[in-house]
Amino acid sequence: MTAIDFTLPSKKFKDKTTVFAVGTVVVALCCIYTNFNPLAFFMEFHNVRDLLGEMLPPNYRTLTDDPSTGYAILQTLCMAFLGSLYGGIIAVIIAFLAASNTMPLKSVRMIARFTLSFLRVIPIVVVILIFVIAVGPSTFAGMLALVIVTIGNFGKLFTEIIENVESPPAEAIYSVGASRMQVIRYSIIPQILPTLIANMLFAFDVNIRSAIALGIFGGGGIGFKLQLAKSVLHYKDVAAIVSLIIIMVILTEKISDYLRRKILGEGKLK
Amino acid sequence: MPPKKFSFKRYRKFILPLIILLAVTEATAIVCGATFGKLSDGIFNGLAFLGNMYPPDWSAFPEMLEPALQSIIIAFLGTVFGTIISVVFALLAANNLANPWVRNITRVFIAIERSIPEIIILILLVAAFGLGAMPGVVALSIGCIGMLGKLLADIIEEIDPLMIEAIESVGGNKIQVIIFGVLPQIMPNLISYALFRFEINIRLSVLLGAVGAGGVGYELEYSFGMLQYHRAFTAVIIIIAMVFGTERLSYFLRKKVKTEGALT
Amino acid sequence: MIEVKNLTKSLPNGRKLLDGISFKVKKGEFVGILGPSGAGKTLTLRCLNGLLKPDSGSVIIKSENSQPLDICKIDKRELRRVRQKIGVIFQGYHLVKRLSALENVMIGRLGQISTWRSMFYGFTDAEAEEALKALDQVKMSQMAGMQTGSLSGGEMQRVSIARAIFQSPTLLLADEPISNLDPSNAKTIMKMIKPLSELMPVVGVFHQPEMTAKYCTRVIAIKEGKLIYDGDPKLSNKRLEEIYGEELELIEQQEHMIPVTAK
Repeated sequence: MTAIDFTLPSKKFKDKTTVFAVGTVVVALCCIYTNFNPLAFFMEFHNVRDLLGEMLPPNYRTLTDDPSTGYAILQTLCMAFLGSLYGGIIAVIIAFLAASNTMPLKSVRMIARFTLSFLRVIPIVVVILIFVIAVGPSTFAGMLALVIVTIGNFGKLFTEIIENVESPPAEAIYSVGASRMQVIRYSIIPQILPTLIANMLFAFDVNIRSAIALGIFGGGGIGFKLQLAKSVLHYKDVAAIVSLIIIMVILTEKISDYLRRKILGEGKLK
Repeated sequence: MPPKKFSFKRYRKFILPLIILLAVTEATAIVCGATFGKLSDGIFNGLAFLGNMYPPDWSAFPEMLEPALQSIIIAFLGTVFGTIISVVFALLAANNLANPWVRNITRVFIAIERSIPEIIILILLVAAFGLGAMPGVVALSIGCIGMLGKLLADIIEEIDPLMIEAIESVGGNKIQVIIFGVLPQIMPNLISYALFRFEINIRLSVLLGAVGAGGVGYELEYSFGMLQYHRAFTAVIIIIAMVFGTERLSYFLRKKVKTEGALT
Repeated sequence: MIEVKNLTKSLPNGRKLLDGISFKVKKGEFVGILGPSGAGKTLTLRCLNGLLKPDSGSVIIKSENSQPLDICKIDKRELRRVRQKIGVIFQGYHLVKRLSALENVMIGRLGQISTWRSMFYGFTDAEAEEALKALDQVKMSQMAGMQTGSLSGGEMQRVSIARAIFQSPTLLLADEPISNLDPSNAKTIMKMIKPLSELMPVVGVFHQPEMTAKYCTRVIAIKEGKLIYDGDPKLSNKRLEEIYGEELELIEQQEHMIPVTAK
């Protein structure tokens, strides 16, 4: 490093202005291309006002009058739960096959890794559309989609978690003549279990949101109810359902936060 | 050496949680109609259907390129505007810049936004503005606030208060504090979060497209709806390429920001 | 007993890490391996357990009721069987931090029980009691239920000794067992390892000539991959200088820090 190593303010200013100008032009071009006028949002804000006028006050009667709304909430929760559970378990299994310290065969590792990175790039909407056609629009289709998406989202993370465990204990266990399975059982699993469970809870959080979106594409649950209420233009019902969704998401987040802290806190190390 | 005396006491710790887990799983499975037989059927049906979708209809490929570009641009614009709005919200939500009242109200707003899935925002915006790119961009921008706003606000709060005081002590006003003290500090994080958000927004723009924001998501939905599965497969391939490409790009750029502090 | 013959190991570029090391250890002996860092002490020890395969030479293990076996020339399955009877104490303790002390001791027998039984933590109560006795022997039984991650270094090393005791090996290896510990803990650990040499040959790598002089029955010195001394544990200053060369100063500094009363 030389003694005088700084950019002159004038040059820095020029650089920054150039970056800013180019950025602005690119954004402007994009806006023109897509016919999107940022100001229009504010100029036509009366649309939003009108909509809010339509929506308020929320018609909570629809929740009490129609018991199927409550059931739809339950369905969404169940979808997210099963999706996270099955998806998480399958992700763990594939992660064990993909991690270099648990799977000695390189070919199996490559296949597992490829599967995970392939599932990772498939967006959820593709998965749900496929399953809706394969098994028909239902909560079941939504759940299957969540399983696939959970594997994609968490498989790679789990692989990394497994590969990052401390290896010295494994060496000690090998040194008493134990087999690979025993090393996995006594060294790797105890080390990763709390993290895995915490991540599965996180997966549940993510899946609750996804489950709502899935409902709109035929995955059933509260998302479907919302879509239904919107398509018949009952905006007061929509408002009621949206507020219900917000409460549900916040509640589940708080619960899983609490559980996560408890699980991770329990095994806290020095 | 067979077990001489084998007590089940050691499993006591696990049995109750296991029973609860199994019971909940069973109950939820009934609600979802996901019995084990159906589960394997469903997965095999899905795979078999994938087989039916093959081969992709390449003749539809050229006409899908433009919608794909549109999706990418919607995601890009959503990220740009979303990041700008998020920075504003983050500044308002940081306890070392804003007064406590403003901060708490902004924090609550951010928390509520975080719990609304983007798709709901989009549905409402489509209801208000009609179909088109605008509801998509706005929905994605608003969607950024929950994630980026919170992350950035947390980072701003970690900035050394002495540094802010130093700028204030030479007579700098609030805007100067923000421009010289806060923004340079959060820039590397801001860029890498924005890139990360861009990855998410690409996926979301496909999802939103399927609901009515246009782009390749709409093509996908339309092809499925018209039962043109080979055409849908083409869309799937384009979407996967898009997601994969942006992921690599954002990974590359983020690494660059991290190692060189470039772009700051 | 264990017999090492002509152990050789070299890097791909031809540099010899181990160069014809031979020695014999009988029951009742507590052998300390000394040498400057990078001399090949730990490598030698790893060859004794088959964690490392030498390029040539043999490590022959004979016990009272079995055939002599050369662990450099057996396959993986047999190696596992041999390892069941070799206890190892590591410098970094190598315990599973999230398991309790008792469970870590139980791990010592994993090689001896069937994989299926071990999958469900299927140790018998008799085995648990035995493990508790092993912990008692190192004065750790009152901490049996604690997570090892929350123990101090000396306590962790005691647990790993208990693991070796519970394993009931016919040979005990110790890889710098006291290097991470403070002087008083180091002495405690040495006192616990010493009586084990009545039951089985003990081979340890050490960095503290004072400690080996006090507790070992024999000392082997390795320098640049060659065995340069094999005999009485009490080394003269001249001998120490010969072994450690420039590093001697460092060792002596260390001795200042470790107050060893016996001279």
